[in-house]
Amino acid sequence: MGRYIFRRVLQAVGTLLLVMLLLHLLTTVAIQLNGNPAQAFFGDKVASPAQIAVVEQRFNLDDPCFDQVGNPCLGPFVERLGQYAQGDFGTNLRGREVSDIVATAAPNTLRLFCVVLVTWLALGMVLGSVAARWRGSPGDHGIRLTSVLIDAFPVFVLLIVYRYVVAVPLSRWAEETFGEDSWPPYWFKPSFDPEHPWATVLVPGILLGLAGSAAFIRLVRAGQLESYQGDHVRTARSKGLGERHVVVHHVVRNSSVPVVTAVGLTFTEALGGAVITEGLMNIYGMGGVLWGAVRDDDVGLVLGIVTLLAAVTVVVMIVVDIAYALLDPRIRYE
Amino acid sequence: MSRTRSAAEEKTVNKDESCAPPPLLEVTDLSVEFRTPAGQVRAVDGLSYRVEAGRTLAIVGESGSGKSVSSLAVLGLLPDTATVTAGTARLDGVDLLALSRKEHRARCGDQVAMVFQDALAALNPVHTVGYQLTEALRARRGMSRADARKRAVELLDLVKVPNAKARVKEYPHEFSGGMRQRVMIASALSLDPAVLIADEPTTALDVTVQAQVLRLLAEIQAERQMGLVLITHDLGVVAGVADDVTVMYAGRAVEQAPVVPAYTAPAHPYTRALLRSIPSASGTGRLSVIPGRPPSLAARPSGCPFHPRCDAARDVCRTEVPPAAVPAKGRMSACHFASDIMAGQEPAPDGADEHSTGRTTAAGNAAATAFDRGDDRGDSGGDHG
Repeated sequence: MGRYIFRRVLQAVGTLLLVMLLLHLLTTVAIQLNGNPAQAFFGDKVASPAQIAVVEQRFNLDDPCFDQVGNPCLGPFVERLGQYAQGDFGTNLRGREVSDIVATAAPNTLRLFCVVLVTWLALGMVLGSVAARWRGSPGDHGIRLTSVLIDAFPVFVLLIVYRYVVAVPLSRWAEETFGEDSWPPYWFKPSFDPEHPWATVLVPGILLGLAGSAAFIRLVRAGQLESYQGDHVRTARSKGLGERHVVVHHVVRNSSVPVVTAVGLTFTEALGGAVITEGLMNIYGMGGVLWGAVRDDDVGLVLGIVTLLAAVTVVVMIVVDIAYALLDPRIRYE
Repeated sequence: MSRTRSAAEEKTVNKDESCAPPPLLEVTDLSVEFRTPAGQVRAVDGLSYRVEAGRTLAIVGESGSGKSVSSLAVLGLLPDTATVTAGTARLDGVDLLALSRKEHRARCGDQVAMVFQDALAALNPVHTVGYQLTEALRARRGMSRADARKRAVELLDLVKVPNAKARVKEYPHEFSGGMRQRVMIASALSLDPAVLIADEPTTALDVTVQAQVLRLLAEIQAERQMGLVLITHDLGVVAGVADDVTVMYAGRAVEQAPVVPAYTAPAHPYTRALLRSIPSASGTGRLSVIPGRPPSLAARPSGCPFHPRCDAARDVCRTEVPPAAVPAKGRMSACHFASDIMAGQEPAPDGADEHSTGRTTAAGNAAATAFDRGDDRGDSGGDHG
């Protein structure tokens, strides 16, 4: 098991380096083709060549390779890796430390993800299990239809409808009913409030979770149906065990392997969804910051955050793999 | 209708048979139907058998003959598409098939347990062997974790798995095929069932391991005076361990007899053909085979279901379902010419039909009371009503 984890961590580090290289190459090509992002620093103002040169130097964009289309610019890449290794992630265009920005933004994203994860697990496990247990019943058909409907609504449509149609009346109603200082009005606030991070992240998180849960419900259902048909379930029943015991220990437990895998995959997918959600709901999180950074041509910030998100993804994958090995003894010693 | 009649008959016959030991498990007139796109298909048709303490009944048949389905019905483990349409399965005086699902389930494992065919699939891959061995004890009898661990080791010792203490912590995939089947047996024994149904327990194993597992089953059965139902397609397996044999074809019992007479003088052409197709070490020349394939249950042949493959088929076989004849005491054969076949003679050629049919039926009636393992009453009553 220890060796297995060690090998997975090594692979993860390799993957991360590869992702960073790819990211670097993409931004390099973008700079080479689109012109120097140092110009973005000045916004609409016209800067003198001397001013631009100073900015270029400050953001490590002064290497001549950025003017040569096709040059992979490995020099600045290695230099940046060295800075990252020392914990220096650079600054954004306004001079604020990237690590500082991340320290403020990341907790909000984590909050969002907690809500999303709970929504997934609750909806997916409950509805998926019910659908599998009573396969072919009206409940099963209803759940499957619902999951298709959810899939048909992209998350941003869901959010826009919520924000512009539902949120304001709901929040006003909650204020009148429960008073201004109570929790409910915050739940339905149409935008994020840093004073009440949990309350204002709840509904966007549930909506984002709802969008991801559709595939999840179907996966849980399919996984459990397969388990129900397994010989080992028949064996468990032949021992005279109660149906609830059989379902928990032989159906849900056995179908948890694909479910955990799916949680990992959907989680990384939700990183993209989080950009939209945070952007739309004004949540000051990683997605929102990335959204702004891309809009402002803030290369340093984009690189820093995408690297961080890639690292998170890789870590989640390792956790999933380890969970996988813990849940299924057959793959432990491979 | 056939259900009530066979129950009534059973009562009277039981009085006559008061000398016979009471059966642990008595299946009477069991019929199971599957819902298929082609309509209802009868997989088991009026099967009756009984198992007594310390005896082994072998149920033999080709794939699809209904032998596994009938035992799944006894345990209430039929798939959703199958239903029991008639019959009883009395265990300790209680008809399992008349119980609610929950009550039926409560008797599984406890009074009747099952050993399944493919132990790798039948054991849960994600739980340790020790957990699975004592799962029922923990969940149903409230045994403590420490006691359960001890009991798991004892159970593994019982089925002669070496180094039991270390192996209870392992997972099924870490066991060899034979050892896995032993685990399967041990887990079925955990609640001390009175009757054990073993569904092809040795099919997935190689021959030497097969013999070991069968010997183990026989030893345990003798020691505990369990009733054992051994389901197999291998007549060679039957010879060594069984006391009685029921041969099934297309969902019906075609011959029921004690093992030795069934082997020396089979009373049904199907049994005879099966015995001839066992390869022997000393054998020379070609191995005889049964031509054709078992009939599809959805398109059962008219008359005797075996007639298209039978080497002794006559005209009557094509039109009339043979009644359950009793060619000798304690034997049953669903063949128009049971007595002839048992005597080793070919039935009279067509044209002399009337005579021979009359004779078997008469023999059947006369011997009905003498038939002391009377398993066929449901059969004959149901089919000719």
